[in-house]
Amino acid sequence: MKLLLHFKTLITGVFILIASGAFSVQATEAGNDQTEKKGDITAIEYLQLMQTAYKNLNYEILYLNNLKNTVEPKQLLHGVINQEEIAYFRYLNGAMRESLQYLQKISYFEQGSQPYTLQSSRNQSVFANIANFDYEKGLASYEYIILGKGRIAGKTAMAIRMMSKDQYRYSYIVWIDLDTHLPLRLDTIDNSNIILDQIMVVSLKVSEQINPWLESLSSQTLPELFNISQTANLKASLWKVDWLPAGFNVVKDDQHKLVMYENEPVSYIMLNDGIVSVSIYISAKKTTLAQQQKTIQRGATVLYTDQKNNFEINVIGEIPVATAKRLIDSISMVE
Amino acid sequence: MKDVNEQLSAIVDNEFIDQKLIDDLLINKDKQDQFCRYHLIGDVMRGDVTDQFANFDISQQVMAEIKKQPITAPVVELGASTETVTPASENNVISFVKRFGQYAIAASVAGVVVLASLVTSEPSFENNSVGLEVLKTVPLGAANPVSLQATKKQSQQEIKEHNERLEALLNDHQLKLQTQP
Repeated sequence: MKLLLHFKTLITGVFILIASGAFSVQATEAGNDQTEKKGDITAIEYLQLMQTAYKNLNYEILYLNNLKNTVEPKQLLHGVINQEEIAYFRYLNGAMRESLQYLQKISYFEQGSQPYTLQSSRNQSVFANIANFDYEKGLASYEYIILGKGRIAGKTAMAIRMMSKDQYRYSYIVWIDLDTHLPLRLDTIDNSNIILDQIMVVSLKVSEQINPWLESLSSQTLPELFNISQTANLKASLWKVDWLPAGFNVVKDDQHKLVMYENEPVSYIMLNDGIVSVSIYISAKKTTLAQQQKTIQRGATVLYTDQKNNFEINVIGEIPVATAKRLIDSISMVE
Repeated sequence: MKDVNEQLSAIVDNEFIDQKLIDDLLINKDKQDQFCRYHLIGDVMRGDVTDQFANFDISQQVMAEIKKQPITAPVVELGASTETVTPASENNVISFVKRFGQYAIAASVAGVVVLASLVTSEPSFENNSVGLEVLKTVPLGAANPVSLQATKKQSQQEIKEHNERLEALLNDHQLKLQTQP
């Protein structure tokens, strides 16, 4: 009996300990919030600082891309030469796959195939989407919330949540280095807070001067420019999307051929909200869909297929399936 | 011939003994081989295979066959049909194939590794589902293996084409992302 009593006191003791632990965590979090307010840096300001840093600093990052159960280590070198950004990217494991972006051109080098260059004015590097986003405009569709401090790649980072205001887009959590303001981690999360895609920096080096090797790359002769407009048809598609999720605009509307698949003609519409781009393909119905999957999802990217009368519509992009469905429902032929 | 096989099978099972057939069996090499095979099949089914029959190694034969194949064989793929039809315009064909390659790479390097995984994981999933369906719908023993295989092959072909098309769409999407205004 005495033993039991002893045991009881022990248990209550443990409870008290746990409870006090929880309280102290809350207290420190509240403390963090206050210091942030004192420092006068709001969530949106952090995000904007991150944008400037990502574009203007000379840095080298090693990062991992977590998708489902696969982890892909990659490297990014970034520098600025005469106010022009230069970015070199490569996969660290497996076959050599590299790219170099400089002066509105991006060149791809892959082991075993001929290198080539594409005209590309947008930054294609890993955090480019969040680094190019107009956060003021984004206030219409996202809420920015400071979550608190964390530690990524050995550095203290501020976690900021970009929470979608509706269910038609994903939310993000961005970790920003407090020193350099470079992004250190990006999680793409769905409505139920499941991480769909994760990019995590494991090593970050920032330098005053541009990496000399990167500088030497800038004067390298590039592989032959591959011109896509030859194959693209500039006629508008004969289709329109009557419903767009808030913040999305039509950025492309054309008819072209799928060079990679029997030159099949497709009508094409591209939507963009500043962070994600969604492609809509409308083509003639070829097979009945009955035995096929309608949804293919990998990480945040979804490929949703549906058929209407004699047409097949494919929607591809980093959006929830519900958005893809609603987009397809709203597609109609231009009168 | 089928009759003879049936009789052989019966002998193996100790169900039927025909003096004439046994005499025949003693001189005919083909039938001896067949007899051997039936016994082996029976042994395997009963799980009695312990001797040298169990160790038959076909890998050597397969390797020998592979070595016999012309070395260029695996290269014959996409452009093959056009190439054989119009050998004169070889230059065109090459540049076209090259273009295919280039488009494909544009996507594969694009940063998102969507494609590889879709291509590798998706067909197996589809195959599995087809396989399961077959298992479920056909009662054991009552199946006609030939027609079954035919339908399975056909749908696999369909699935393959479907996947190729989806892959092409994903590639095109990647390419559009690269060249987005």
